This record gives sequence, C-alpha cells and structure tokens, in this order.
Amino acid sequence: MEAVIDVRGVEKMYRRKVHALRGVDLQVGAGEIFGLLGPNGAGKSTLVKVLLTVIKPTKCAGSLLGSKIGDKSTLSQVGYLPEHHNFPKYLTSQQVLRHYGAMAGVDRKTRNKRCDELLEVVNMSEWADHKLGTYSKGMRQRIGIAQALMNDPKLVVLDEPTDGVDPIGRRDIREILLRLKGEGRTVFLNSHLLSELEMVCDRVAIMVHGLMHQQGTINELTSGQSGFVIKTKSAMADDVVEAARNAISDITGDVENEQTKLRFNTSEAGKIQPAIDSLRARGVVIESIGFHRQSLEELFIEAVNESGGGAKPGAQKAKKGARS
Amino acid sequence: MILRQTKAILVDAYREINAKKLFWITMVLSLVIVAVIAAVGFDEEGVSFLWFDAGFIPIDSTILDKDLFYITLFSSIGISLWLTWIATILALISTSSIIPDLISGGTIETTLSKPISRSRLFLTKYFSGLLFVALQVGVFSVASMIVIGIRSGFWEPKLLIAIPIVLAFFSYLYAVSVLVGMMTKAAMPAILITCLFWALLFGLNITDGILLSFKAQNEIQLEQRTDRIEQIEGNTIRLIQGEMNRSEAGSGDGYIPDEAEIDTRNPLLPRIRADLTNNEESVQSLRHWSRIVYGIKTLLPKTGETAELLNRSLIDPERFPSLAEESAEEDPNTFSVSQEETNRRVDKELRSRSLWWVLGTSFLFEGVIVLFCTWRFTRRDF
Repeated sequence: MEAVIDVRGVEKMYRRKVHALRGVDLQVGAGEIFGLLGPNGAGKSTLVKVLLTVIKPTKCAGSLLGSKIGDKSTLSQVGYLPEHHNFPKYLTSQQVLRHYGAMAGVDRKTRNKRCDELLEVVNMSEWADHKLGTYSKGMRQRIGIAQALMNDPKLVVLDEPTDGVDPIGRRDIREILLRLKGEGRTVFLNSHLLSELEMVCDRVAIMVHGLMHQQGTINELTSGQSGFVIKTKSAMADDVVEAARNAISDITGDVENEQTKLRFNTSEAGKIQPAIDSLRARGVVIESIGFHRQSLEELFIEAVNESGGGAKPGAQKAKKGARS
Repeated sequence: MILRQTKAILVDAYREINAKKLFWITMVLSLVIVAVIAAVGFDEEGVSFLWFDAGFIPIDSTILDKDLFYITLFSSIGISLWLTWIATILALISTSSIIPDLISGGTIETTLSKPISRSRLFLTKYFSGLLFVALQVGVFSVASMIVIGIRSGFWEPKLLIAIPIVLAFFSYLYAVSVLVGMMTKAAMPAILITCLFWALLFGLNITDGILLSFKAQNEIQLEQRTDRIEQIEGNTIRLIQGEMNRSEAGSGDGYIPDEAEIDTRNPLLPRIRADLTNNEESVQSLRHWSRIVYGIKTLLPKTGETAELLNRSLIDPERFPSLAEESAEEDPNTFSVSQEETNRRVDKELRSRSLWWVLGTSFLFEGVIVLFCTWRFTRRDF
C-alpha cells in the first residue's frame, strides 16, 4: 500500500528540557482511516503539528504525500482541523470556508462551489450567513471539518473532531469520515473517544510518552487478549484451576477477578470443552461461558499501564508547557 | 496562488477592522473634524465659525492667503492634533490584537497548515494592519481636500501627501506594538509598551526642541555680543586715534591700543567680554548635548519630524506675515533675543535635517524590528 505518511525517528525536544517525541515511527497508507490514541501529553498533537509544519521537529526523516516533511507546497493537498480551533467570530461560515480555501490556494470558482457543497455535507447550509460568534461548539466543529475539506485534500487530519459534538453530530461525522474513505482519501484521526475510533478506523496506533507503543489493525491489536471466559459462581480453588489449565495443554488460561473467571486465549469453542468438563467434574458451578473480545479501551489502558504512565499526564520528563 | 492568498489576508484584515466598533468610531470622529474645518469661514472680515464671528482672532484674508489659512488649519488640527495623536492612539488600540490573534492557539495551527511560507504570512499580516490607518487617513485627507477646495477655491492635491506621511508615522509605532504583541502574545502589553515608547520619543523631541531653542538664543546673543564688542572696540580705537592726532598730528594713525587700554575707556566692555565667554561655553555645551540627542534620535524613529514633513511640503513659512512688533529703542548692551528670531532659527535647523535622516533612519529602525519579528515568527513553534 502506498504510504501517505511515512516518518521515522521523529524527535521533538522543547527548550532542551521536555522530550515530547522520542523517535516516533509512523506509516499511514493511502485510503485508510488511521487513528492515533494516547493519554494527555503523549505527543499526539505534537506529532500532527510536526507533519503539518506548525512545529519544527528536532529530528525527522520521512515524507508526507511523497514530499519531504516541511515542504509547504504539499500542504495544498492536506486538510487539517486542529484541536481547540478558534476561527474568527466576525466571519460567517461561508466566509470562513472561502478564506481558508483561498489560503489553501483554491481558485474562486471552485471555492464557491465547494463551499456550498460542504455546508450541505455538514448540515450547515441554513447557517451559511450567520457569524461564527452565534454558533454552538458542535456547529463550529462542523464548520471546522468543512474548512479542512475545502481544498479537496488527499489527506485529512482531524484532531479531536467529535470534541463537543452531540451523539447525532458524532454519527454525522462518522458518516463523513466513511464517505471520505469511500472517495479514496486518507483520514488521520486524533481522538480520545476510543469507541468512536473503534467504529471507523482501519488501523490505529497507541502513543505513550512520545513513543509509538503499538500500531496495527484493531483486530491485530486486540486479538492477543481475546478469548473464551468461564465465569464461576464462587472462587475456584488453586488445584481446580490447575486441573482446568492442564486439561488444555496448548492454550494458556488466566485467572481473573479473585478466581471467579478463567480466560483461555482461543477463539475456538471446541478447544475449551476439556476445561469445562474438568471444572464440572470438580463440582464447580459455572455461571456463564462467553467469548470476550478485548476493547480498544482495554488495550489502550493496558498500553498506558505497561508504559508506567497511567496516572501521569505529560511528555517524558514532562514540565509545564509540554504539549499533547 | 500568492496573489490569491495575499488577497485573502487583506480581505480578512478588512473584515476584522470592519468588525471593530473603534474603527467606525474613529471614522465618524474623522468626519466630524472635517466638518469642523468646513464650518470655519475665512474672508476679508476675519474668521468665523458657522454663523458666529470669531473677531478675537486678529487675522483676515487680506493678511493671510485663504488657501494657506485652510492648509494650516488642516495641518494643525487635522494632522498634528487629530491624526498623529488621538486617531493614532485609537488605531494602536485597534491594531494591537492583530498579531496576538494571529499567533493565538487554535488560529495559528490552521493558518500555518496552509501552503504559505511563514515569512510571507507574517509580512502580509503586518502590512494588512496598516490598512486601518490607510483607510482612516485616506478618507480624512480626501474629505479635507474637497472641503478646503470648496471653502478656499484652491484645489490642493498635495494635501494627499498626508496619507503616506501619517502612514509612515503610524508604522513606526505599529512595529513596536507588533514586536511586543509577538513576544507577549497579548494586546494590552503591546498598547502600554508602545505608548511608553511613544512617550520616550516625545520626551526626546521636547528635549531636542529645548536644546535647539537655547542653542539658538545663545548663538544670537553670542553674535550680538561679538558685534557689540567689535563696535565698541572700533569706536574706542577711532576715539583714541582722534585724541592722539589732535595732540600731535599724525601720531594716532595706525595706532592700535591694547585690550586693557580699550577696557579702561569702556567700563562695560569687560562685563560684555565675560558674558561672551560664558556665551561661548554655553553654546559649546548646548551643541554637545544637542549632538548627543541628535545621535540618539538617529537610532530611533522620528515621529515628530515625520509629522512635520507635511508642513515642510505644504507650508512656506515666508508666506506668513511677520508678527514681530517694532521693537522700541533698546539699550544696546541688554542683548535681548526675540522669540520670533529664535523660532526662525530653530525652524531652519529642523528643516535642514534631511529627508533621509527623518524617513530613512526611521524606516531602518522599523525594518530592523520587522525583520526580527519575521525571524522570530519563522523560527518559533506554535
């Protein structure tokens, strides 16, 4: 797959004190929806800003849409919605779209056409002539997304696009993202809303402390911790657990929840039957048996805990002023 | 694409200005000032305001040309008082937020993610900030030209030179405001520090004016005393020579008495000589300090002199009637200095300062500030 974003060893040090990015490698293929996750201060926004020339990296090798990172002309093919964007409140949404369209190099005729189309797409046509100062946060977010699409970009980078948006709005945004993917565009998402990402992303990456912890498809990342879970009414004795484990020699069984849950990492129901028989033979009362797929949230929390940064927001050696 | 982006930034700047109430307040006040100029009548009977006769102003069109009267009114009220003082403060307040708004979080990321170089973005934004003043001064000058044309019958397109002059004047202060806005990311410090800087320039101008005035007074007195001494010495020599010739014919021809002998004959002369020495020392000292102030001013923008350029180009001081009263017979040893002569000399010295010194070094200052800001803008992370 052709790489739209292909960077290696991206580093960013603020004032020689805060190591916000510590050698990030990232590859995003053309036409996919890619989600970047990470706790506050992980370096997600810094990475996006490096890609879009808002921040100058300390070290960076690689390309964006085939051009060297930092090449301004490439940005005419990129649409960007920053987190906490703040478009001028004295402008109407039409004026915002046309202004940023012109800044992206779109000609007047195309601007006017795209403006009407995009206001329709984000359901804001009726508000086209109202000033942004009168909009709700969700409405401004919709205009922000439309703004990012004014130049008909090949790559759309959205930082927290559903921030402040109600459930209906979130659904609309998901539909827009899927539509963009359908049109062959690449979408790069930065979001805290893991369930949102889970619904639309082809691939995700988890970033912690300025390093890429994991990246891959959601199936690849979550399959490792998915499997059948046998839940018992009361805690199992150690010898009972051991016997059940030994009944299935080639699959590991993990005990959870004060020995009332036994998880086997397999997706084949037939393979866990000997363990069930073993438990039943020892008089254990089974409450339920079910297949559990690890959620993105569980994966995320696990990744953060593994990196030892669960409760600590901020970049490595974080000091005041570090960016997320 | 460059033209498209530049146009987009300028249109946005206009919309931003248009959205500010202060812009329209300033515009309305500008038109009020023009209306005030229009309300002033000037003819053979003197000055009037609307239907009121301002007879206490002792001039009429037989003393002063009509066009000169209105141009002076435009320059002194319209430019010196309104545009380069009150309107400038209002413009500084209005434009102080341009750069802090540009680099504020949420705005700068979107703008920098567009295919425009940082230096071009910053410089276009910087010049778009001058649009505020260009529009204000443009409307004011054109309206004034029309009013003065109707009132005096003289159409003076040179009045429009006020547009670049006031724009240059404002741009020096705006550059400082942009620098502070860039460093602090806030409008209030930009306004305060720019006003302080302006006060410093004003103080320097005042100091320069006072020094020039004292210098001119002392130089005049120096000339007067020198002339007086030469006159007394000449008279005394002739007197001594005459006395000698009377006692013995031909003995006084070619005789030059020494200073002591001359002083013996003129008890006032030693005092005049002592005053002359003091005068020379004062002139030396004043010239020294004047040079220092001039040197400091060379490094800084010259707001006062820039505004004065309008008078230089529009008003010929020779066209003003002399207001000097016939001085009564004075004691030749009092060495009084007329204010008119002092002002004339100060004005001559100020007018002798070259256009390069006034505008060139001021733009150099502004250029250094803008270059630094551009460098900072292109280097920093947002």
